[in-house]
Amino acid sequence: MTGSSPAAGPSPGDRAGRAATASPEWWGTEEASVRYGDKLALDHVTFRAVPGRISAVVGGDGAGRTTLLRCLAGAHAVSSGQVRLPVALRIGYLPAGSGIYPDLSVDENLAFRATAYQLPAAAARERSGELLERAGLASARGRLAGQLSGGMRQKLGVIAAMLHRPDLLVLDEPTTGVDPVSRADLWWLITRAAADGAAVVLATSYLDEAERATDVLALDAGRELAAGTPEEIVAAMPGTLRASDARPEGEAGQRAWRRGGRWRIWDPPVPPGQPGPAAGRAAGQPGRVLAPDLQDAVTVAILARELAAAQAGNGQPEGGDPR
Amino acid sequence: MTQPLAQCVGVSKRFGDFVAVDGVDLRLGRGEVVGLLGANGAGKTTLIRMLLGLLATSGGQVLLFGEPPSRRTRQRIGYVPQTLGLYDDLTPAENLAFSSAAFGGQPGEGGRQVMASALPESLRPYRRTVVGSLPLGVQRSVAFAQALAHQPDLLILDEPTSGVDPLARARLWETVAIAATAGTGVLVTTHYMDEAEECDRLMVMADGRVVAEGTAGQIIGGARVSVVETRSWAAAFDALEAAGLPAALVGRTLRVPGADPAEVRRALGPVEASVTGAPATLEERFFELTLSSSRAREPA
Amino acid sequence: MWAMIVKEFRQLRRDRRTLAMMIVLPVILLIVFGYAASFDVSKIPTVAAGPQAAALVHSLGKPFDLVAAAPDEGRAWAQTQLRNNTNGADVAVITGSGPTQVLIDGSQLFSARTALGALAAVQEKALAERASGSPVQRPQVTVLYNPELKTSYIMIPGLCGVILVFIGTIITSLGVVRERQTGTLEQLAVMPLRPRDVFLGKITPYFTVACLDLAIVLAIGVAVFGVPFRGSYAVFGLGALLFLFVTLGLGVLISSVSENQGQAIQLSVMVMLPQVLLSGLIFPLTSIAVGVRWISYILPLTYFNEISRGVMLRAEPIGPLWQPFVFLALLGLIVFTLASLRFRSFLAPAAPRRGRGPAPAGPQPAGAEAVQEAGAGAGTVPAATGPAAPAGQAGQSGAAGPAGQTGPGSAGSGR
Repeated sequence: MTGSSPAAGPSPGDRAGRAATASPEWWGTEEASVRYGDKLALDHVTFRAVPGRISAVVGGDGAGRTTLLRCLAGAHAVSSGQVRLPVALRIGYLPAGSGIYPDLSVDENLAFRATAYQLPAAAARERSGELLERAGLASARGRLAGQLSGGMRQKLGVIAAMLHRPDLLVLDEPTTGVDPVSRADLWWLITRAAADGAAVVLATSYLDEAERATDVLALDAGRELAAGTPEEIVAAMPGTLRASDARPEGEAGQRAWRRGGRWRIWDPPVPPGQPGPAAGRAAGQPGRVLAPDLQDAVTVAILARELAAAQAGNGQPEGGDPR
Repeated sequence: MTQPLAQCVGVSKRFGDFVAVDGVDLRLGRGEVVGLLGANGAGKTTLIRMLLGLLATSGGQVLLFGEPPSRRTRQRIGYVPQTLGLYDDLTPAENLAFSSAAFGGQPGEGGRQVMASALPESLRPYRRTVVGSLPLGVQRSVAFAQALAHQPDLLILDEPTSGVDPLARARLWETVAIAATAGTGVLVTTHYMDEAEECDRLMVMADGRVVAEGTAGQIIGGARVSVVETRSWAAAFDALEAAGLPAALVGRTLRVPGADPAEVRRALGPVEASVTGAPATLEERFFELTLSSSRAREPA
Repeated sequence: MWAMIVKEFRQLRRDRRTLAMMIVLPVILLIVFGYAASFDVSKIPTVAAGPQAAALVHSLGKPFDLVAAAPDEGRAWAQTQLRNNTNGADVAVITGSGPTQVLIDGSQLFSARTALGALAAVQEKALAERASGSPVQRPQVTVLYNPELKTSYIMIPGLCGVILVFIGTIITSLGVVRERQTGTLEQLAVMPLRPRDVFLGKITPYFTVACLDLAIVLAIGVAVFGVPFRGSYAVFGLGALLFLFVTLGLGVLISSVSENQGQAIQLSVMVMLPQVLLSGLIFPLTSIAVGVRWISYILPLTYFNEISRGVMLRAEPIGPLWQPFVFLALLGLIVFTLASLRFRSFLAPAAPRRGRGPAPAGPQPAGAEAVQEAGAGAGTVPAATGPAAPAGQAGQSGAAGPAGQTGPGSAGSGR
């Protein structure tokens, strides 16, 4: 991006209104694994969320995002490894289903949350009012939460999670399936929380959203696929990316995917010691080289792992291929 | 010129006092992929339900293959709703068997062969697992296969890729592209802005009306946003908020749609920052369009 | 249409609960209407007080069945036997100076009716057999507790139990399952609330409503139907309390194995139906075939019925009621404990958390409580921190993994 230093985040002077508690450098997990029976939902995952920053967790369904977030929220224990979390009182959590009571009104939901998190009534009222107003929910305060649209319910869920100004805010897919306008409001709320000094962890399926976060962790089948700032992940992508108007023939076709109406082909780097490019990858191949973005880097990472698994396993079916 | 597969002329839908859809024109031809963008409540789902014949119009006309929606036209449409429309307690094969039987295996336009009721190769490994136990990406593939099994002329997809990883999304779009190349018209709604690029044409709806139409580039036009770079982003954020300017934190900068750099500079006051202009993204332009549409409807 | 039929069958095949219901319910009904549903009483336990009373009872023949004899005792003793339902006594024959007295326990409605009928038949027979002219000694027959043999007298006390089952089990299970269905249970798990608070807070409203409903039913029963309440409120109250623990516990247990309200209802109905039919509420226990009667004796409502009828109609004190009380107390303890354990298992992570950060000033919430769940399996191993994070990570943001991680795109210490 620009010349901002790595320490760009709210300076201590920015954290107006927060009680001065000594928070550690980070919250998160260290080599954490979670086992369900014989299945590893998380495999030695290290993740750090820093106060005042937004960290995104991306990955497909079954990748382990929800499991990781549940561990971070304290809803689930790890089978091995370490977890560093604040006490339950200082955590805010938005589970995958919004965690809102559909048969209570907006106000009643927030009142319950305030009491559970020991927030004094006056402070709770003021804060709810402010957040609801800004999120566009002020006119719906008396409405039953079950009657809100998806986007509005998610907004309510996020407000409920951050009502008590938690040190760690864990949000499981707050924006999936939500229209772009509500997503903008949600992103405002998330930004607000980070500005208040919370360490914000966010699972998302939108790579462009993940690109807006300070740090990204990409998961695949419970293991870390890529980690770092978006720029680092992109820079660490091996090989090069080419654009093409059609799916290439032959072996290269397995390394291609569709995006934005055209095709992208990934050329892995040639391993050292190999006699030369493998068949089908002659120099001067068609298509111009592209500068990858985060979505490309993550796609390449998933693809590379799939190809490696296919070579190792031989005959392993690739999931999700509709053809 | 062949008749369009689907056509809406001045279509409206009223629920009591509430106008869900207001005078929408739509035209979808063979092999076209049209994307429908809009906030929740903008009228997309209502419009689709009218196209499918599930809802009667309050005004205007809906034509499918040149005639009003009927059971016969329904058999030429493949539809994947947001909820996928699969039975969780049946396997993919059983789901497909049921829907194939329901669609009766009519040959499509141009004498295409009878639909395939066999599972596509890639889904074979999952054929014994009930759909409810399958990962989301695979479920979506099953829903696609089901919609395409009877070789429809028109494919309507409601948020077909929500919640799925980028590679799986790419593969689903490949299926769409193949269908489109074969002549199927595709109407798709999505919240992923980069998928907007997959469409030949976009329609942006807000408050029941079409507020913009064209390619992504055409819709963005010359819209611009202000970009704020600063060390104390939280202070900047607060200042902008106080001035009523919605800012979004993107990486380490703040982007402010709908405001020119001078205005932003003024709002920031004493906060040290550099403010520049930049082209808007499709999402930011969409946000602007939706906001101005709702503002236009507010009483002065 | 055929496709629809096939599909429904396939779905039905996989729906185990509905299948179970389709099989279990007819079996229950079969048992009930085959073996249990009968108002015919074949044996009436009878006690004999006074000289020669035992012989007299024997001479009465079936259905009277001598279960206790006390030649030296009189009416007072006999009445106590009936009141306390000792040996199940429904009829007492008392001899002594003066005419023979027969006391019939009106709170055992069908036994009473059968007894009256049998006595009348015996008298007819005696009349016919006597030589004409000699006077007939007619015994004094008194029906105690329910002189008019009204059905409402025995139904209302029984209804009290049904109300408690209905609210305690069905309604409670719905309320708790709702939490699972809406996905808010996970939120509760994360909140700084003690699992005990959540559990008790959840069931207290149902407890309160059950008590209220019970009071209403009793009030209406007494005021409108004239059902007597002769015994001790305290004894009745204690019985109701213990019974509520059982039913509430069952309700929570049912909800812990149900994923949605539909399943909860199915299971609740399967639990409630046998109780209504086999607890002596409608069909007297004595009429139920012995081979099947054991089922009645494991149903909690059977015992509460004894308590409610005994206390309301016969003013039975707590002493003779020790069996039902002990049974309900034990069952309540077991069921309630199981229920609270299962409920807690939803709320607390499987193993204690480690490495907590600095706590703010203020009460340490009991989220730190470790609830060791039986069979949870996963203990937390405090693994040594792995290969030290590569140097140069100072100031580096969040999710950088340790060196040597898999796959391309892994962030090295890029800076």
